[in-house]
Amino acid sequence: MSEMIAPEKVAANKPEAVQEVARMNQLAGPAQRAESPLHHADLGTIAQKGPKNGGVTLQEHKLLGHLVIRGSQDNQAFLAGAREALGFDLPTAPLSSVQQGDRSVRWISPDEWLLIVPGEEAFDVEEQLRAAMGGHFAIVNVSGGQTVLELSGPEARSVLKKSTPYDVHDRNFPVGKVVTSVFAKTQAVIRRTGEQSWELVIRRSFADYAWLWLQDASAEYGLVVKA
Amino acid sequence: MSQKNRLASGGRIDRSKPLRFKYNGREYQGYQGDTLASALLANGVDVIGRSFKYSRPRGIVAAGAEEPNAVLQLGATEATQVPNVRATQQELFGGLVSSATNGWPNADMDLMSYVGKVGGRMMPPGFYYKTFMYPQSMWETYEKFIRKAAGLGRSPLENDPDTYDKINHHCDVMIVGAGPAGLAAALVAARSGARVILADEQNEFGGSLLHSREKINGRPAANWVAETVAELEKHPEVLLLPRSTVNGYHDHNFLTIHQRCTDHVADQAPKGQVRQRMHRVRANWVVLATGAHERPLVYGNNDVPGCMVASAVSTYINRYGVVPGNELVLMTTNDYAYQTALDWADAGRKVVAIVDTRQNPKGARIEEARKRGLNVITGSAVIEVQGSKRVSGVSVAPIDARGDKVTGSVQRLSCDTVASSGGWSPVIHLSCHTGSRPEWRDDIIGFVPGKTVQRQLTAGGINGTYSLRKVLEEGARTGAQAAESAGFADAAKGIALPLSEEVQEGPAMALFHIPHTKPTARAPKQFVDFQNDVTASGIELATREGFESIEHVKRYTAMGFGTDQGKLGNINGMAIAAKSLNQTIPQTGTTIFRPNYTPITFGAIAGRDCGELFDVKRYSAMHRWHVEHGALFEDVGNWKRPWYFPKAGESMQDALDRECKATRESVGILDASTLGKIDIQGKDAREFLARVYTNAWAKLGVGKCRYGLMCGEDGMVFDDGVTSCLAENHFLMTTTTGGAARVLEWLELYHQTEWPEMEVYFNTVTDQWATMTISGPNSRKLLAELTDIDLDGDSFKFMDWRQGKVAGVPARVFRISFTGELSYEINVQANYGLYVWEKLFEHGAKFNLTPYGTETMHVLRAEKGFIIAGQDTDGSVTPIDLGMSWCVSNNKPFSYIGKRGMAREDCNRPNRKQLVGLKAKDPKKVIPEGSQAVDDPKQPLPMKMLGHVTSSYYSANLGHSIAMGMIRDGHNRMGETVYYPQADGSVIEAEICSPIFLDPKGERQNV
Repeated sequence: MSEMIAPEKVAANKPEAVQEVARMNQLAGPAQRAESPLHHADLGTIAQKGPKNGGVTLQEHKLLGHLVIRGSQDNQAFLAGAREALGFDLPTAPLSSVQQGDRSVRWISPDEWLLIVPGEEAFDVEEQLRAAMGGHFAIVNVSGGQTVLELSGPEARSVLKKSTPYDVHDRNFPVGKVVTSVFAKTQAVIRRTGEQSWELVIRRSFADYAWLWLQDASAEYGLVVKA
Repeated sequence: MSQKNRLASGGRIDRSKPLRFKYNGREYQGYQGDTLASALLANGVDVIGRSFKYSRPRGIVAAGAEEPNAVLQLGATEATQVPNVRATQQELFGGLVSSATNGWPNADMDLMSYVGKVGGRMMPPGFYYKTFMYPQSMWETYEKFIRKAAGLGRSPLENDPDTYDKINHHCDVMIVGAGPAGLAAALVAARSGARVILADEQNEFGGSLLHSREKINGRPAANWVAETVAELEKHPEVLLLPRSTVNGYHDHNFLTIHQRCTDHVADQAPKGQVRQRMHRVRANWVVLATGAHERPLVYGNNDVPGCMVASAVSTYINRYGVVPGNELVLMTTNDYAYQTALDWADAGRKVVAIVDTRQNPKGARIEEARKRGLNVITGSAVIEVQGSKRVSGVSVAPIDARGDKVTGSVQRLSCDTVASSGGWSPVIHLSCHTGSRPEWRDDIIGFVPGKTVQRQLTAGGINGTYSLRKVLEEGARTGAQAAESAGFADAAKGIALPLSEEVQEGPAMALFHIPHTKPTARAPKQFVDFQNDVTASGIELATREGFESIEHVKRYTAMGFGTDQGKLGNINGMAIAAKSLNQTIPQTGTTIFRPNYTPITFGAIAGRDCGELFDVKRYSAMHRWHVEHGALFEDVGNWKRPWYFPKAGESMQDALDRECKATRESVGILDASTLGKIDIQGKDAREFLARVYTNAWAKLGVGKCRYGLMCGEDGMVFDDGVTSCLAENHFLMTTTTGGAARVLEWLELYHQTEWPEMEVYFNTVTDQWATMTISGPNSRKLLAELTDIDLDGDSFKFMDWRQGKVAGVPARVFRISFTGELSYEINVQANYGLYVWEKLFEHGAKFNLTPYGTETMHVLRAEKGFIIAGQDTDGSVTPIDLGMSWCVSNNKPFSYIGKRGMAREDCNRPNRKQLVGLKAKDPKKVIPEGSQAVDDPKQPLPMKMLGHVTSSYYSANLGHSIAMGMIRDGHNRMGETVYYPQADGSVIEAEICSPIFLDPKGERQNV
């Protein structure tokens, strides 16, 4: 069975021609107003006027470049191309992530990664990846479809414990680990970014629910919003 | 009222903190540390309710979760009403308001007691079972009677103001019960470094040690408890959960724990605090240290207030400083219960007699009782109690060695309290939750947990281990074993076992049902299950009527059906059934227990999944604009989609008429962002499409779009949408809003299981693109003002797509139409969705750009006969039934999903229901959706139905109503008349026609 399921291997030294896909720089200029999924929540004003101390701090890292990268780990031309374009390897250990400066990659599944880069770099990085990678792969820009929330503070973990059945204890969830799991009644890509800080990648249409949920779950610890 | 039963000193209550509370409208005083039950007993409140069936006065029997009678209603306000609260588990707080639940008008003066005997006759054992055999029409009558008579509390009529929530935990060792075994286990496990959770239903840890007079390491046991808890609190990986009942033990060591966080503080949780919390624990290993419940004995009139379980009496004395009476008669089958008489005597009250059912008991506690001059009557039993609202005396008689019959003359003793002990029943409920069958042990006269498939250990009373010394030993050993099994080596090393003295005890007697001079059926009522008024004679009757399985006996008598799940009575009941059937108890077997161990509030079950957070609401990037412009919303899946945009004073139909006309006459705009969108990349993408859609995809060129139908294996339509060729190896598929996730899973399923060799990746981009559809004759003019794309009709044709900029934002524009008008579907990255939407309106004013919602969309598409998968289809409709054979290609080199299904005989038989258009003869009449067509409205019932209306609207553009629906053989019946009988008796007459009501040649969309 494994033979049937394994995608065809592509020799690293003979990358196929770059696939014929539609490319599109989705970014407009500064004159065109871009709104993150939580734009209407006006987190900036809440940050200014809201409480400054509390057990949980929430910050939206908005309008970043989100690229879904799909490819087989058996495809050396794909892995090597990613290394060449990014300057580091895609993390192949399950549930791991790599952070290099302002670029970070999350392992999502054996053939899927989520790369997050500064918003204005998304198209360039996509082009560099496409140029460098060979064989069968896919890259999808999902920058408009999701956003990053950072949850930090001494009670951040308690909020996570209310929200996900996954074990977020130190022993099971060290810094750098990433898990895609149930989050309240939606889902999130959860990554531990520091001793007391966690990153949630939330889908756009669910962002409002996640924001309401997080406010509610944080209420007893005190929620600080950072702009 | 003074606390006449309160001792001047002793107990774990704080006499410096008096608390006032109300019970049945009267004010009482108790102390910090009391339960509601101990405070009521301190005040001499004997009657706390009336029994379910016979309306007999009932008092407090026990001191914990096993209490069957003291089930009260709590709440100072309407909104904070809580039914089903056990007074023995409710901590007292100042201002607590409580009332009896099944005493009407009050428990003391119960008018029901006069009809009580009638009730008893009306509800013989088997009532529950027999009611289902009577005509169903009678059930309502019975139900009313039962509900009123039972009255186990009422739910509040107002919203609960409190917050309840849930939290998840994982641990290496989960210990249930913080008595001596649980504490010892926790201590050892904690020292190993394991992640430990220790939960106990009581406000304080210590379990039986909180009312024990035994010593540990030569000092009062409470000292050891305090030191142990103090150490546990210091371990960073230990979570201590007091006031937390482990209510369910589920598969894979998943446990649900109900914590009462502020129920002991006030009627309503302090601001910002959670009232109750459900802990959802996934444990590597579980240690059940749930202890045991003492069994009362079954004797005549054993439900008269003042009859209690022996250990409960000790608990009230030692833990709460309350002696619940003045003159005690203790009846016991074992040594341990002698302690109750000793405690009673120590409290300075009179022990009338210790009645021991054994002929010649010997043991340290018996020696002590005799040494202190207490009257020990052996080989005898209390066969009957006198009194109604309080015990006034007992009848004591000698019994034979087996406890089968009375052997001598009866003597009367005067007393006000009867404590009884028939031994102990291990608390095996949680173990039963996992499906484990309990095992009977003759040596401890009780059931212990049976074999388990869980990673579960047990320690202490649950194993029938009752000597404190052994309980501590077993706890420590089990804690070590659990920690080691969870990977913490050497947990067992260097355990300093707490030491306590071993009390020498003689054997106990296996006696459950005390014989009477009269046969059971004629003796005074001998209660087995207090909450459901099940008597020994009822159980005997059940076995006489042929109910031999214990599960049948349970259902026949309702034994164990109460909210206490028969914690006190079940074993006695089984023993009585066994004896009556001439079987052993293990032969008779036991009923098993299901979650929850004790009742849980609905609030705790709901947690935060209520109100605004009840369910996910999904929003598009333009949602704020819709709200600001007065849209009403419709739920589509989890999405909130604009339904229509009424202007001031407009009815729904007014708004729809305006939106429809504006779109057909100038230009309308729809937020179509919610449509599912799937990005498909890879060299086999095109072939994959050909296999999942019914139509052909081989020749679709880059820059082109095509409509497709998706079928299940059975050949039935399940989704549809337009897929566009973005590049040779790159497609964008759209799905229905509700079908997005299902379609993506469908594609993945086939890719991963059937065609893994195909090089293709699917990714959801539903949230990535904001999609706005401008539709109508002026849509080109409007778009031209904002885009650099060449919109010329000869180059950018219907079913083409182009990339360019709209309002300066990179966009893909698809010339596809769900309205039959010239339409452009503009897709931009969702971050720019609202910006581009607003720009369209800035330029759209001169074209009367009109926003419309799902309802107008439905009307406009129905005018064109376009289907909505899931509305016009229901899983039983093939593309051919829809009249869409143009969308099925059987010339594809590879098969496609649904091809074989469609070839089935049934899919090709004549007379299938087919989708047609319907025109009501009265153009103003809109046939209600779901209406059934018949050929002859005058035929007798049941009429022969031809099919139902799937879509039906009033079309302002056409000036008459339109509908689509299924009609048997409909495609061959064009022009014929069918009738739609309505619920009100009227009949709507309609003509079968083509579903394309407007522009059948498609001239409007092809301009």
